[in-house]
Amino acid sequence: MKLDITIQRYLPEQAAEPFAQTYSVPYDASTSVLDALTYIKEELDPTLSYRWSCRMAICGSCGMMINGKPILGCNVFLRDYAKTGMLIEPLAHFPVERDLIIDMESFLTHLEAVKPYLINKKAQGVQTFEPHVQTPQQLDKYQQFSNCINCGLCYSACPQFGLNPEFIGPAALTLAHRYNLDSRDQGQAERMPMINSEEGAWSCTFVGYCSEVCPKQVDPAAAVNQSKVTSATDLLLSLLGGRS
Amino acid sequence: MSYRPTLTRTWWLKNNAFKAYMLRELTALPLLFFLLCLAIGLYSLGQGEQQWQHWQTVMQNPLVLLINAVAFAASLFHAWTFFQLFPRVMPIRLGGTTVPAAALVAGQWAGVVSVFALVAWLFWG
Amino acid sequence: MQQEKKFKRSDEPIWWGLFSGGGVCFAVFLPSVILFYGLLLPLGVVTLEYQQASAWFFSFWGLVFVGAVIALPAFHSLHRIRHALYDLKFQQKALIKWLTMGFAALLSAACMLIWLVGLL
Repeated sequence: MKLDITIQRYLPEQAAEPFAQTYSVPYDASTSVLDALTYIKEELDPTLSYRWSCRMAICGSCGMMINGKPILGCNVFLRDYAKTGMLIEPLAHFPVERDLIIDMESFLTHLEAVKPYLINKKAQGVQTFEPHVQTPQQLDKYQQFSNCINCGLCYSACPQFGLNPEFIGPAALTLAHRYNLDSRDQGQAERMPMINSEEGAWSCTFVGYCSEVCPKQVDPAAAVNQSKVTSATDLLLSLLGGRS
Repeated sequence: MSYRPTLTRTWWLKNNAFKAYMLRELTALPLLFFLLCLAIGLYSLGQGEQQWQHWQTVMQNPLVLLINAVAFAASLFHAWTFFQLFPRVMPIRLGGTTVPAAALVAGQWAGVVSVFALVAWLFWG
Repeated sequence: MQQEKKFKRSDEPIWWGLFSGGGVCFAVFLPSVILFYGLLLPLGVVTLEYQQASAWFFSFWGLVFVGAVIALPAFHSLHRIRHALYDLKFQQKALIKWLTMGFAALLSAACMLIWLVGLL
């Protein structure tokens, strides 16, 4: 069996505009889209560029648009596209550098902005080395949100990020919420200014497509909207307490 | 040397998830129409019996009835989507575990039915 | 390490709170109200005489009605319209915010005034 795969190419040193190129790829029941790209690069066209690593949906490298949907290339199979055909495009809402390779700088900047690490108040700057103790119930509160593999599919799914790249975005807000919910963390106050801003939780309109495309069932939409409750509570407390 | 396509005004036509989202948001319009009908009704009530009767006649206009029928359907569609979102926005934890979403959804629909029973009792009881 | 970016607190929680409250009311109260007042009453399946309507509305419950059935759902509706316009790439954010929230406030105030005047 062979499938015609059309790929959105972009070779900036050759042409200013992207162009489409179609390849005929043999497949069987176990051929993933990533396998197909490997075949194309090795057998048909070595100029094709794309990112990949683990080929088992844990590294988050091979995100791309397949028939308009953000998907990990290693996570889908050609056998399911025999009837519809296949169009592969670079992950949406990010600048495209070459072929299927996108510039993820804004994604990484947004992740950094939420201070995604345990923050503990130190006594006079002296760090103690006692182990953090956490019950299974405490872990359960945030565990789902910690499963993010930073693949960026949710940013491609999110029309608000598409309309405004200043929006911190689903993965970053989920990470912020993950740490706010972690019983070992004391840093919520440091994350709130970002969450409380227009570019934080309040750009979200609960389209919910981010959660649909997430390969790890993190449910970023839930995290972002839960942090709206946190943010609203924070505003109320600040009005009552007199802080800004 | 990189390019980033901008979203067009019709980005939401691209897939079913986006279309469903826009449909959900669109329920705001028939709702607003009905609210204006109600507001006019309250004003008419304040003006006296004759105005009250006149308002009821206006509400019988076929176009008004049609839009309000759409508003009724829209309110149920809104309820259906809203009740599913609520457990995700405010998960309720009891005794260390999360209350199942299905229970919260059922509870909210029970609220809708209770209100219907109350209004029915007011008009028919 | 990047510099600390200065974030400005948004007032959106206020409008979102009204939107959420209105969303609950739209979902729980409006189906019955639309059914009875928008369909069954005009179609004559139920009747509501002026005296009865006045007695019901120009009471404490009338104020509850204005709040739960008109005011909160109005803020819900206009908040949705406001954000849908942004989704459709209308960039005049401040103008649209004033027009939509202003209209919701006016509608709510008008109905409250009608109740107050009728009560007196």
